Amino acid sequence: MSYKNFKTARLLITFFLAMTVSIAISTENVLLAVSAIGIGMMTMVLIKKNVKAVLVDEMVKNIAGKSALMAYSITVPVLAVLSLVFMFSNLSNEGSYLYNLGMIFSYIALFNMAVYSIAYYYYRKKYGSDEE
Amino acid sequence: MAQMKNNIKVLRAEKGMTQEELAEKVNVTRQTIIAIEKNKYIPSLELAYKISLFFKKKIEEVFEYL
Repeated sequence: MSYKNFKTARLLITFFLAMTVSIAISTENVLLAVSAIGIGMMTMVLIKKNVKAVLVDEMVKNIAGKSALMAYSITVPVLAVLSLVFMFSNLSNEGSYLYNLGMIFSYIALFNMAVYSIAYYYYRKKYGSDEE
Repeated sequence: MAQMKNNIKVLRAEKGMTQEELAEKVNVTRQTIIAIEKNKYIPSLELAYKISLFFKKKIEEVFEYL
């Protein structure tokens, strides 16, 4: 499959997913949404396997890495600040909706940091070492 | 910031190749070749060697460090 055909197929799958998921939401049918997403993902995997053109190269990975770092650098501080604001503004009202939301945000920020640290440690081990 | 220049466009024109054909030969996307030619993206050492080897040139004949 050529890259042009792949782009058309990807567009069609996106259209199919958007239509099916919106129908599933309007009819409150979770099974339809889940199966549509599953079918969409499987089809994408199968199509990607048949594409002869290079889809991911070093520049794409480079851009993805920089974007991921920027997304992390924005998301974590925003979540941390929001969680502090929500929690400290509701200290007298522990268990309230906003207090709990703050707790959830702080756990998400911590989870993000943990994943980042693990990934960073892994790649540092893989690409660099203190040994000479 | 370090700047790199290259003459891939000239070498490609000498061979009468399109960006797509070169991209296919060195296993990257056409967008990467476009970015390298415009000096917007500095390729990895591996890719720089691949491109130089493809044109049967030394790496310093294809890429120039300013």
